[in-house]
Amino acid sequence: MALTSKAARSALSLILGLALCAHAFATDDAARLAALKSRIKAIAAETTYVEAITRIQRLGRAFGYYTDKGYFGEAADLFTDDGTFQWGVDGVYKGKAHIRELLTRHGGGSLKEGPGLPFGRLNLRMQLQPVVTVAADGSSAHARWREWGLLGEYKKSATWGDAIIEDDYVNDNGVWKISARRYYLNFEAPYQGGWASLKPVAGSWQSAVARDFPADAPTPAPYQPFPAVFVPAYDYAGTLRAIQSRAPFDAPKRPADALGRLETLADVKELQLARAHSVRAIENLQAMYGYYIDKGQWQKAATLFSRDGTYEFGQSGVYVGNAHIERALSLMGPPGLEQGQLNNYVMVQPIINVSDDNRTAKARWRSDVQLARGGKGRWGGGVYENEYVNDKGTWKFSALHYYVTFWGDYDQGWAAKPYPMDPPSTTIPPDRPPTVVYQSFPKLQVVPYHYNNPVSGKPIPAEHE
Amino acid sequence: MLKPSRRIPGSLKRLMLAIALVAFAASAARAQEAAELKGIEQQLNGLGDRIQRLQDLTEIEIVQDAYGYFVDKAQWHYLADLFADDATLEIGGKGVFLGRARVFEYMHVGLGPIGPRDGSLIDHQQFQCLPTINADGVTAQIRCIAFVMSSGGWGHNYYEDRFVKINGVWQFQKLRGPFNMYSGYKVGWLDNTILNTYPEKWPPWPDLPPTVIYLTYPNYYVEPFHYPNPVTGKPMPPPSPRAGGEAFGR
Repeated sequence: MALTSKAARSALSLILGLALCAHAFATDDAARLAALKSRIKAIAAETTYVEAITRIQRLGRAFGYYTDKGYFGEAADLFTDDGTFQWGVDGVYKGKAHIRELLTRHGGGSLKEGPGLPFGRLNLRMQLQPVVTVAADGSSAHARWREWGLLGEYKKSATWGDAIIEDDYVNDNGVWKISARRYYLNFEAPYQGGWASLKPVAGSWQSAVARDFPADAPTPAPYQPFPAVFVPAYDYAGTLRAIQSRAPFDAPKRPADALGRLETLADVKELQLARAHSVRAIENLQAMYGYYIDKGQWQKAATLFSRDGTYEFGQSGVYVGNAHIERALSLMGPPGLEQGQLNNYVMVQPIINVSDDNRTAKARWRSDVQLARGGKGRWGGGVYENEYVNDKGTWKFSALHYYVTFWGDYDQGWAAKPYPMDPPSTTIPPDRPPTVVYQSFPKLQVVPYHYNNPVSGKPIPAEHE
Repeated sequence: MLKPSRRIPGSLKRLMLAIALVAFAASAARAQEAAELKGIEQQLNGLGDRIQRLQDLTEIEIVQDAYGYFVDKAQWHYLADLFADDATLEIGGKGVFLGRARVFEYMHVGLGPIGPRDGSLIDHQQFQCLPTINADGVTAQIRCIAFVMSSGGWGHNYYEDRFVKINGVWQFQKLRGPFNMYSGYKVGWLDNTILNTYPEKWPPWPDLPPTVIYLTYPNYYVEPFHYPNPVTGKPMPPPSPRAGGEAFGR
């Protein structure tokens, strides 16, 4: 009896104990489950964020392909119904119909007929070097672009175009649209003589288009084009969002239960996403660097390097650390540049490889260079092989190395009149000699690739085949 | 006799009830948990597909950009390795080349020996790339500009290329490079532009004739966009039949 009831009691307490235990496990599991769910929410938000960057890049590039070929209605369709387009100092044009007419008048198409350009009209407007930032709530975004134009009329004119574009975008029920474009024309320079031949503008420099087709509102802040040095405000000023992705993260060892399997799956997806996000952050970083260099903003450019980062340009030697890099950059000119100086470094053709652990990255870029100094124009071209570090979630240059392919005189061209590279500076000497000794055009060499052939997976020896 | 026998079944009943309740609760909880975990796994895999698309966008742009760097230095073997076995190539007006070996021949016979030659710049820059991953996840397209800075002057071409993912690796399936404008350096595109190339102009000879006959600047030709308008979703309308004419828009 007593035994039986004792047995029953202990059996009961055992069951209660087990149930309590199960409850404790359940509580622990519930906490893990809640943590996993909130991680998934964060992964979803970050995925949407990175997708938004790629969609905005797509918008800008689609715009370029439309204007190239006289598809001005399609280009205007990339704007919101009440979208605005500020063209230089001409003023602000409002609504799709006016934007279409603005682009048509500048590009040479037709408002009456379908898409197209007449015989002999060249309107190639390359949309390059985006820096895209998306608002935290995903409802709006900004971007800076560079437009490099090849414009003209056959046997009448050939012109270089140079402009900075500052865009606002809105997310209209999942469709990104341009809501406001500020098109800061820097110059339209005749091919003969180029940008270095431009004189300061006196008085109004509104275009002929603006006289025939006045804007709906004046330009909020008039400015002077090249040879003045004008810096359109950066939409990314004061925020590092553009160059951030996930901080390096070591996933803990997950338990070998069903939940643990999903936690591991989330770890894998999170890392893959972090690396895809880092690609965009590094694109933004390189583009930002280019925009600072354009305008002689050496201090801002130097802060994009890690503390022990290195900078090497052609045969200049290696500079180490932010302060010394800033001084090295100042070899290009005084801070902010002088009137008549052009220092365009176009950042294009990225091959970005982020390390498997998202801690470091390497990238190859190309840069075309448009210079003016003392009334003389110059072309340059070269290849970057850079290294980057993920510093607690912010990407920085750990090593920037620009290999000069060529320098050439604007009037005669690089083929007829190439220039050699500068030797290391004696006024601001480098910390180390050049890492590779070579000559620029007419000599040519293969800049070593940081990557294997992306398809065959084989290494690409630097020597000639 | 009866008392204990009534008592024991009573406690047993409670015991059994408790066991049943715990067991039921546990199995119900397990079922609910299993369903929840299944849902979470689906969610993660759904996100994984979108993340994979983001990675794909980068990977096909890398293949396109790597192509450009290989042209720069006439690294034709490495360049041909970017193409699938049965890939095709059509550049300018020269017709269609079938298969990787003929891609190599197009470059090597048509453009020159392997490796950079001092004094001969052929920078083949890739600008403004607009990639699209198709819904199947294993085919993709890209539109890019090739902006050429060479010893001879300037070139502006498009690429409208197709990629295929084989064994997890994106590669060229079809490379198509229609020309927009080629010009010398001295006066640029003012005049002296080079209209096009033709199949019969120089070896190697193509396997198939050009798919489209067109003339470059100062004439008008638009290579179709592979993508619809990103805002309206509408496919590309054809250009005006009068586009490229002297009187267009006048």
